[in-house]
Amino acid sequence: MDSSVPRFPVTYKSLSLDIKGNKTDVVLCSYDDHFLVIATQIGAMGTILHARKEEGVSIEPTFNVSAVFGKRDEPMLLACARQLIQDISISGSSKSLVISLGLKDHSAETLKGVVSAVIENRLW
Amino acid sequence: MAREEPDVEVLNEAISSALVFNDEVKDGGGVQITCFSEVVNDVALHFQILRLPKQIYVWIGCDSAKLGRIYAAAPTRPKDMISVTSILGGASDNTGAGIARRLVLKTGLNIILACNIPKNSPMLEADAEKMLVQKLIQLGYTRAKAEGSSS
Repeated sequence: MDSSVPRFPVTYKSLSLDIKGNKTDVVLCSYDDHFLVIATQIGAMGTILHARKEEGVSIEPTFNVSAVFGKRDEPMLLACARQLIQDISISGSSKSLVISLGLKDHSAETLKGVVSAVIENRLW
Repeated sequence: MAREEPDVEVLNEAISSALVFNDEVKDGGGVQITCFSEVVNDVALHFQILRLPKQIYVWIGCDSAKLGRIYAAAPTRPKDMISVTSILGGASDNTGAGIARRLVLKTGLNIILACNIPKNSPMLEADAEKMLVQKLIQLGYTRAKAEGSSS
C-alpha cells in the first residue's frame, strides 16, 4: 500500500428514509467551503439551489438563496434552503450551502420531512 | 438447523465476496458513493462519485477539499448532442467543463460535475479525467458503448 496517498478529505453521510410514503435518499457532504445536501425521491438530483450568508453591517446576517438549476419558481424549495442555511449559520459555520431537491411533491409536509432529516444528520 | 440447501450458502458467500471489491463504496439505499484519492506529480487528486439511479454526481478535488465549479452535462436531443452548462462559478474559469462534456461523451450518462482543478493545468485535467473514466468503467456505471468492458 502506498502510504503517501492522502486520506480522503471530504466527510459525508448517506441515509434513506420514508417521507409521505416516498422513499427519499439523503446525502450530506462537507467540503472546505460548502456543504452539499442532496435529497431525492426521483433518482436524480432535481432542482439545485445555492444559499449563502452575507455578512453585512447590521448584527443580523442576511441570506441569499437562489435556484441555479431546474425549477426557478418554487417557493417551498427556496424556503427549505433558507431554513437550512440559517441552521448552518446558527451553528457557527459560515460555509455556503448547495442543496439539490429531487422531490415528487413540494408540499409543506415533504419539505419539513427533508429539513428535519437533514438537521438530524447534519455535518455542521 | 437443517443443512438441506448448501447451494444457497455457497451462493450467498459468492455474492458477498463479489460485493466487497471496493472498501470505499457505501450504499445508502438507492445511492452508491465511491471515494478514492491518487497522487499525480506530487498533487493529490480526490474523487467522489455519487451514483443515483438516473444521474451521476462527481467531485474532483485537487489538493484541497473546496467544492469548486459545478457543471451539468447530458446528451440532449436531437442526435444525442452533448450540452454543458455551468451551475456555480465558471464565469471566468471553466476548467472542468471539458471534462464534464467528455465524460458524457464516453459514458452516455447524465452528469453533474464539481471540480476545483486550477485553470491552466491541462495535464492535471487530462490525468483526472482518465482516472475518473477508468473508475466509472470499473464500477460498471457506463452505458454500453462499443469498447466497454463487460461485467
